[in-house]
Amino acid sequence: MRHSIIARLVLMFAAAALVIFSLIGGVLYAVVKNELLRHERDGLVTTFNDIEYMVSRVGTVDRWARVQTKLDTLTPADGKVRFWVFSDDPQFSYGKDLAELHDFDYDPDNIGRLRIKGKEFPLHTLTKVLPAYLDRPAIRLTIGVDTEPYFETLRTFVVAMIGLSLAGIFLVILFGYWIARAGLQPLKKMSDKAQTLSPQNLSERLTVSALPDELSDLAQAFNGALDRMENAYKQLEAFNADVAHELRTPLANLIGETQVALSRERSAPEFEIVLQSNLEELDRLRSIINDMLFLARCDQGEAATSLVYTAIADEVQKTIEFFEFVLDEMQMSVEVVGDVGAKSMIETALFRRALTNLLQNAIQHSPAGARITVSIDAQQQDEQQRVQVAVSNPGEPIEQRHLPRLFDRFYRVDSARRDFDGVHGHGLGLAIVKAIALMHGGTAFANSKSGKTTIGFTVGGKAA
Amino acid sequence: MKILIVEDEHKMAEYLCKGLTEQGCTVDLAANGIDGQHLAIQHEYDVIVLDVMLPGLDGFSVLRSLRTVKQTPVIMLTARDRVEDRIKGLHDGADDYLIKPFSFLELLARLQALTRRGRAQEPAQLRIGDLQIDLLSRKAYRNNTRIDLTAKEFALLAIMARRQGEILSKTAIAELVWDMNFDSNTNVVEVAIKRLRAKIDAPFDQKLLHTIRGMGYVLEPRASESPVHEHDEHDGEDG
Repeated sequence: MRHSIIARLVLMFAAAALVIFSLIGGVLYAVVKNELLRHERDGLVTTFNDIEYMVSRVGTVDRWARVQTKLDTLTPADGKVRFWVFSDDPQFSYGKDLAELHDFDYDPDNIGRLRIKGKEFPLHTLTKVLPAYLDRPAIRLTIGVDTEPYFETLRTFVVAMIGLSLAGIFLVILFGYWIARAGLQPLKKMSDKAQTLSPQNLSERLTVSALPDELSDLAQAFNGALDRMENAYKQLEAFNADVAHELRTPLANLIGETQVALSRERSAPEFEIVLQSNLEELDRLRSIINDMLFLARCDQGEAATSLVYTAIADEVQKTIEFFEFVLDEMQMSVEVVGDVGAKSMIETALFRRALTNLLQNAIQHSPAGARITVSIDAQQQDEQQRVQVAVSNPGEPIEQRHLPRLFDRFYRVDSARRDFDGVHGHGLGLAIVKAIALMHGGTAFANSKSGKTTIGFTVGGKAA
Repeated sequence: MKILIVEDEHKMAEYLCKGLTEQGCTVDLAANGIDGQHLAIQHEYDVIVLDVMLPGLDGFSVLRSLRTVKQTPVIMLTARDRVEDRIKGLHDGADDYLIKPFSFLELLARLQALTRRGRAQEPAQLRIGDLQIDLLSRKAYRNNTRIDLTAKEFALLAIMARRQGEILSKTAIAELVWDMNFDSNTNVVEVAIKRLRAKIDAPFDQKLLHTIRGMGYVLEPRASESPVHEHDEHDGEDG
């Protein structure tokens, strides 16, 4: 299910409005109700005091008749205010349905509630017992006030409140939608802009400065991804060009040499030489293709499979032995230093291949008589023995900017230097070192300072 | 040696046939999986060279149906260098596995290794012309003169002597002598051959260690010695 930010925002606005209106409505309701009640009670008490004053000073039957008349006139026709006088002496009583109403409840404040037949709302009553005076016995005076207006007002208030709240929520939704849309406008602009980016204009970026703070992080991250993509894209392009170039040279030799050979009659030994030369070129092609396939397999995430727990120093020694004659001829020597007891899970053939490439590289870039160092460095890391193997050789320092790219395919520090003493690598040696390190869950690294170049790799990390 | 080649690519089938015939083998050809399966089951071969990608029936299927009947050694050829493929092939009963492009020498060596399996022990003494090699005491003589060799030099000489007359590529030498099982792009083998040559050939008239340019090296006495092409400085890059 797709989420819409606008819908989410509007929904949240609406929910917030509902909560706010409900709270305000609830509080207002309570306040209004309380005020109304108080107001009504004040009225009741005032009326009661007047009547009480009048009634309490009447002690004879004659005068009581006048009280009755007075109460009659005070009783409105719609029965909104009612008076009752309960007494043991019927001569001093007043009010309708006295017998029925005789036993209604009222609380210690003398406030009570009285339901009367045919009336929708109860009456609020105030009751008080007046002491006997002259002929008159003690009487109980009750005044009832109709609560209809009170409840009507409350009801009107609630209806108005709900209506207002609904209208308010509706408005909030409306404004919320508009605000959310307007607020998200920069996002839309950004995505429109992002959509126009294509592989054809790789260098285009989102303009971070034109975006609000909240989006600049995203835009920067996005631009970062674009940077990496552009790099990868360019590298791929350069890589393709390099591959084509590397393949083209031997192919050109093959085609040219064969054409020259065939362009006139030649003897068998002459052809033999051509074929031999062709074979060398073909073998070069084969070697490049094999190395590239090896790298491609690593790119596809192939890890070293036949891992064996091996003493690293032994493998280093065997690889150095491989170079024994070459080292002897160049009067170079190799010294192994560091944790010679280190062991790790490696695929020995791959390990030797990586170290062979490193040693070959070191030999090629050292002056005759140089002393090459292979250092083994074991580090314990998360229950895993990580072993670093580095080959150092004295030689011309490599500029800092080249170092991270040394492991790129076909990368050459000095593009002019290709052949060395009859050996020309094809620029994949260090890329293979890195690939092998990755296949062992490690990395490759290079540094160059004070006339010493060190290139190495680690193995035995978490398996790739 | 009787060999069946199941390969649909015409050029490759042809040169394999030619090369192997010249090596003294009897070669049958099948251009698709169905013919190949039929021939492999109906006839007796010393070894079968089987391409993986074949029209009709792929190499794995041919291999599986062959294995239900007999155990003729099989070398699989493939252009796809995937571990899964290799495992699949070996699991299905292939005896060896070669990835295209492969060198003809390598195929030859593997074929010989497959058919040599279980043969009699080699002799302790080897003789190439007037060069005598004692594999047990690890000593070499020419004209009864002791030649002083280092351990690795002797290992190299012994390996070439065991395969006298056979061309060994640099990769094969690196693998056999130093157990370096990959294209190394180094000049180690050239340097080693140069040193060995200086010790066993230089002082003597008859040269035994020959460079086959572009292919490798061979140890053999040659009746009429053609002037040795000194290409060692050039053929640096094969392996």
